[in-house]
Amino acid sequence: MNTITDLKTPEASGEAVVSAPFFYRGKLVEGSDQTHRSRDLGVTFATHAEGLDAAVQPRTEVPPLLNVPTTEIIDFLVETGVRIRDPKNEIFQDCIDRMCGTHILPREVVANQAYYATMMLDRQRLQAELDQNFPDPRALDEWVPKQDFTGRKSFVRAFAPRLIHVLPGNSPGVAVKSIAHGALVKGVNLFKMSSSDPFTTVAILRTMAEIDAGHPIVKSMSAVYFRGGDAATESILMRPQYFDKIVGWGGGDAINNLIKYTGPGLQLVSFDPKTSISMVGREAHASEEAQELAADLASADVMTLNQEACVASRFQFVEGTEEEVDRFCAKLHRRIAERAAASGDVRPYDMELKEAIETLSFLDDEFRVWGKPDGKGVVIRSEEPVDFHPINKTANVVRVDSLDDAVKWINVATQTVGFYPFDRMADYRDRLASGGAQRIVHLGEAGPSTIGNPHDAMYPLHRFVHWMAHEDGTIND
Amino acid sequence: MATVMESSAVEELTGRVHTADPYDYTHEDVRDLQIKAINERFQQRKDQIKLLRHRAEEAGLEEVSSLEDAAQLLFPHTAYKSYPESFLIDQRWDRMSKWLDTVSTYRVPVDKVKDAPDVDGWLANLEREGFFVSCSSGTTGKSAMLVASAKDMEWVKVEAPSAYAWGSGTTLDSDRQMFGMAPVAYTPRNHATGEAYVAKLQDPNAGRPASRAPPTARGAVTKGAVRRKKAGGAPAPPPERGERENPGAGRPKFADAAVGPPAAALSGRRPRRLHITGLWKGLYDVAKEVRDRGYSAKDFNPENTIYVGGGLKRAKLPDDYREFVYETFNIQPERNYQNYSMQELHSGMPRCQKGNRYHLPPWVVPLVLNKEGDALLPIRHEEYEGRAAFFDLSVDGRWGGVISGDRVNIQFKPCACGHKGPSIRDDIARYADLEGDDKIGCAGTVDAYVRGMS
Repeated sequence: MNTITDLKTPEASGEAVVSAPFFYRGKLVEGSDQTHRSRDLGVTFATHAEGLDAAVQPRTEVPPLLNVPTTEIIDFLVETGVRIRDPKNEIFQDCIDRMCGTHILPREVVANQAYYATMMLDRQRLQAELDQNFPDPRALDEWVPKQDFTGRKSFVRAFAPRLIHVLPGNSPGVAVKSIAHGALVKGVNLFKMSSSDPFTTVAILRTMAEIDAGHPIVKSMSAVYFRGGDAATESILMRPQYFDKIVGWGGGDAINNLIKYTGPGLQLVSFDPKTSISMVGREAHASEEAQELAADLASADVMTLNQEACVASRFQFVEGTEEEVDRFCAKLHRRIAERAAASGDVRPYDMELKEAIETLSFLDDEFRVWGKPDGKGVVIRSEEPVDFHPINKTANVVRVDSLDDAVKWINVATQTVGFYPFDRMADYRDRLASGGAQRIVHLGEAGPSTIGNPHDAMYPLHRFVHWMAHEDGTIND
Repeated sequence: MATVMESSAVEELTGRVHTADPYDYTHEDVRDLQIKAINERFQQRKDQIKLLRHRAEEAGLEEVSSLEDAAQLLFPHTAYKSYPESFLIDQRWDRMSKWLDTVSTYRVPVDKVKDAPDVDGWLANLEREGFFVSCSSGTTGKSAMLVASAKDMEWVKVEAPSAYAWGSGTTLDSDRQMFGMAPVAYTPRNHATGEAYVAKLQDPNAGRPASRAPPTARGAVTKGAVRRKKAGGAPAPPPERGERENPGAGRPKFADAAVGPPAAALSGRRPRRLHITGLWKGLYDVAKEVRDRGYSAKDFNPENTIYVGGGLKRAKLPDDYREFVYETFNIQPERNYQNYSMQELHSGMPRCQKGNRYHLPPWVVPLVLNKEGDALLPIRHEEYEGRAAFFDLSVDGRWGGVISGDRVNIQFKPCACGHKGPSIRDDIARYADLEGDDKIGCAGTVDAYVRGMS
């Protein structure tokens, strides 16, 4: 590592200016040329003015990781995970302190998320990702010989791509994952951090630089912050001369903004914002025990990362009579409230959302509300999904006569569908996929996923690489 | 209903609208009277407005004996758009009426108003029954529905021209040619104030007030939102397709025809005493055209007045756009009427002619809160910043206490203009605009990117 600046401890006060250094292929650069506001808590952070040249590796230089075997990359990532989890890792402890100043979740939740995220930096898991994403993962390490039925020969390579990752800020897991994926495909990576987390990515990269500052992985990674939508910076960086793909998170304005820069030679791989739901069949009302179980499983999905994550369930379509569904709602509310109390999360409730839910409680011939919109857990029963986005421990149970009636509410923004009972899942999966959904899981298991499975309806690593063919003529015999 | 005795404090304060200078008072003089008046309103309304009763029960309040008490009873501005949007989309006017009833002082006769072919019909039914509902376009796409009474409509007719006269330093002498250059959304309140302005400003001998823009239809904005929302589910039938991305398509293209004709008309009426209204972008474009025709300040009447509504609305204009407009039409600085108000209030806060500050009348009680909007800031003599919230004692048809989305700087010391009442600096900003940044997360609503859903 060329320079490591001593980092000032962030001050506790809400208006303190927190330093957010940039990372350029192994070099840490800190500055206070520019200050930026972070969302939610109104914290200001300072960065140096971006030096765009340092963030871009010329195409005349072959990507540094190209001929580093994937096994060595995996070794390095595994060691990175160990170092991040090490409580003596000052870089990372300091990062969590800084993040708590700019993050909407409590410190413990933030720290746990970061540690949990590093669990993916496991040898078997990383290998499985490669094995699932590529029909022949050797193509990452070498030019794989091919021959077609006419006898024509060639070599194919999953060539190291140049990627600019536009990261979200709601989960440190995305930072870990993006770095791991960027390394596995041997890419030249520039991470554009979010204002709500301008720290984690750099902390991971610094931890990597401590392992071996000269390693090609470290030389393949840069992380900067600029304000999303800053056309002066983006229009210079986001060009096909510099990058093959923009890996974009977010939706609406964020993605529409990135689309402006895409075109021939510069493609978009987008991870859209998602909403997840639950579907609960009438079998859940067969007995008190069954209902208790289904409500508990549903509450686990609602409360995934305290409902901040895309896999967290927001709408629960429950089959049954109003009386049956109301009994389910009461149990669901109790379970959510228990989990909310245990989490210690006491974020204030959004005023507009509170207003909307209170109004529904006045219209009690059509809606029913369990609990209060106070951040301690609330359940709303309605005949159609409510028109607001349930967040901060809010569940909207939609009563349906048949789960068939729930299918029309599925769309491309529906990521995960938690389903009960499990033996009816096969009956629904085709229709859910047709509607746009991307995962169907056992109710209560929104969080875990099979290692190497597709994400947001694609195999991302396969899409990241630059598929290159070397044609080698025909053998005539 | 209220007797004269019960409403004495309210009437004493609102009655000042008829005095020569209602803005000249000190906070100390009226503080007790204001608290008494808010309590009068509270006692009248707590059993009439369902949402207020809920708030009062939550706060454990039986009476208002301090501004802190009053602050606990404020409604966020979002309270008037808390109806489930499906009611509007599915045109369930019985449900919408029932919702409206939860925020209305007077009982909405659901059965008499529920049969309507569309939102305009429903609003017309309500008006016939004495419920005047103003729909805001709303920045998020969902309309706020503000219910008012006939008494409210009479009030705004008195208050709006009176605030204008004070703010522009003119008298209401029916001696002007009015010239409107912006489409005004039709709301009962805008209609009532518009009528009052014509009655008190327009010279009857000068013909009809010149307006280049017809008001938008009553529920036009709301209908557009509904149409877009509906299109999200299933493909729109062909006849609807053409207009569904462009809810204003039915209206003449105002922007295209907005410059030449008004510029010509204004140029032709140069010597007259004009009262010009509009939005900055339109005013600037017309002023530029007038200049191109070779006219400027020297050609126009020095007593001209102007009233510009709203901010820049994201229009890109040169830095000196204001000066350019004033100089074109010979608007003296003190004849530039500025007023701070919002659809949630029935009273304005006109800007004074010397201190660049908006002055509160004694019937609008300032309750400036912290940024989060959950605590009243202690009143200080010197200027301080906070979230604007007010109790408008003049409001009759709904609750008068509202929390806005605005960041304001208020002071209780005398203003440079000589008036001693509370005043707000003319640099009001919306918290939403100040906080906006590039937030991205993996959890989101379908509205965030599936076209046609919001």
